[in-house]
Amino acid sequence: MTLLAWKRMERESGSQTSPFEELALPLLPSLYNVAFWLSRSSTNAEDLVQETLLKALRGFSMFESGTNFKAWIFRILRNTYLTSLSGLAARRTVALEDELNEKCEWGPAQYPEGAIDRQTPELNLIQMGNRATLQKAMEQLPAPLLEVLLLCDVEEMKYKEIATVLEIPIGTVMSRVARARATVRRSLMTIYESSREVSR
Amino acid sequence: MTDHLSVPILNALADGELSAEQLATANHHLSQCPSCTSDALYQSLLKSATAKAGQRYAPTPNMQARLALRIREELSFQNSQHGDNAHPVVRSSNFYGWAAAVALLLISVGVTLVQYNWSRSATASAQYAALATEACDQHIATLAANSPPEVISSDRHTVKPWFQGKLPFSFNLPENLPSGTTLDAANLTYVHGRPTAQLLYSVGKHRASVYLQQRSDDKIANGLSSDHSGFHLVGFRTRDIDGIAVSDVDPARLSDLVGIISHAQE
Repeated sequence: MTLLAWKRMERESGSQTSPFEELALPLLPSLYNVAFWLSRSSTNAEDLVQETLLKALRGFSMFESGTNFKAWIFRILRNTYLTSLSGLAARRTVALEDELNEKCEWGPAQYPEGAIDRQTPELNLIQMGNRATLQKAMEQLPAPLLEVLLLCDVEEMKYKEIATVLEIPIGTVMSRVARARATVRRSLMTIYESSREVSR
Repeated sequence: MTDHLSVPILNALADGELSAEQLATANHHLSQCPSCTSDALYQSLLKSATAKAGQRYAPTPNMQARLALRIREELSFQNSQHGDNAHPVVRSSNFYGWAAAVALLLISVGVTLVQYNWSRSATASAQYAALATEACDQHIATLAANSPPEVISSDRHTVKPWFQGKLPFSFNLPENLPSGTTLDAANLTYVHGRPTAQLLYSVGKHRASVYLQQRSDDKIANGLSSDHSGFHLVGFRTRDIDGIAVSDVDPARLSDLVGIISHAQE
């Protein structure tokens, strides 16, 4: 008999595990992945996740029941990151640029509408599943664009949840998502052009 | 032809963030505009590729164990602090001491109960979200799957007997369905790790999945009524059955279908 694909939710032993652990531990891989992307170091990422978990545990009684735990703990992670050394450095680097671009985010698109051909080089790169190239392009994103892309595409959060995590309006989330993807697209194009020149 | 779709709309389309009205408008435009269709395809491919590329760093088992242990230590520390504070008060022998101890005990029990309820609500909320996601995923997978459902029939006398011996419970299928609604097919599946009958209905041009399970102590599906990824979910519970319906049809029409199926179990 063929059964449809389905996911089993791992049931944890309630008598051994606290409610906080039940909610937080399954999110460890996601928290660590985002922390590593933002801090760019395994050690910093582990410190960041540990500090986030301890802050969340100490403030768990403040967590509003019925609200989104994932968004809540990611907000703590993000605030912890912003006050960390790597976060402060990233903010200093991109804050001005980000603020300036924010003002014209609903202005004209950064590339002509409908001008994408199916066989553009960067599309070919994606089709080939060139993960390393895409990761390289993502690495070049400034922190505010990278974090929104990670939450949207990797963590599959809705715009509303992302707005909660980043404490910004939904319109800003939308514009950052658009800018992040446009930037990745330009980086892919640059990487492609460089690789062509090298191979000539 | 109208203007091309804007970049924010193309992104929102890829992210499943368009309202039903916006989606209909976008789909209408895409059906006439190869250029925007190409853009939309690109955005979807980029999103999917980014999702894969973004899953880059995983904590080692040792690191996970360290972090889990650190949480456990913090929990023990919190518990021990709570215990140390209470201890001297209980040993006090005078009346006021006892009164204070009783008051503290009552407050502590009250706080514990409140925290317990909050924690339970948080856990229930997470389970609720997981159930909604799983039900939606299965509904989408059924509609997208290349393999046909296991029983294709609009005859309830064909569909119901097919489940005999496959499920640890039985259910009734209603004879009369709401106007414009037909039974199309059924599947044996699993939701939340439990054997489930998935009934596929057409409601007008929309498709609906109704999942029926043996009633359990788990109350998370009961009274479920929410939206998830553009789908409406309605949960119901009868004496023997727990059910969830998923569809992108108008919520009122989905509720009508749920009402009739629920009534058929009485």
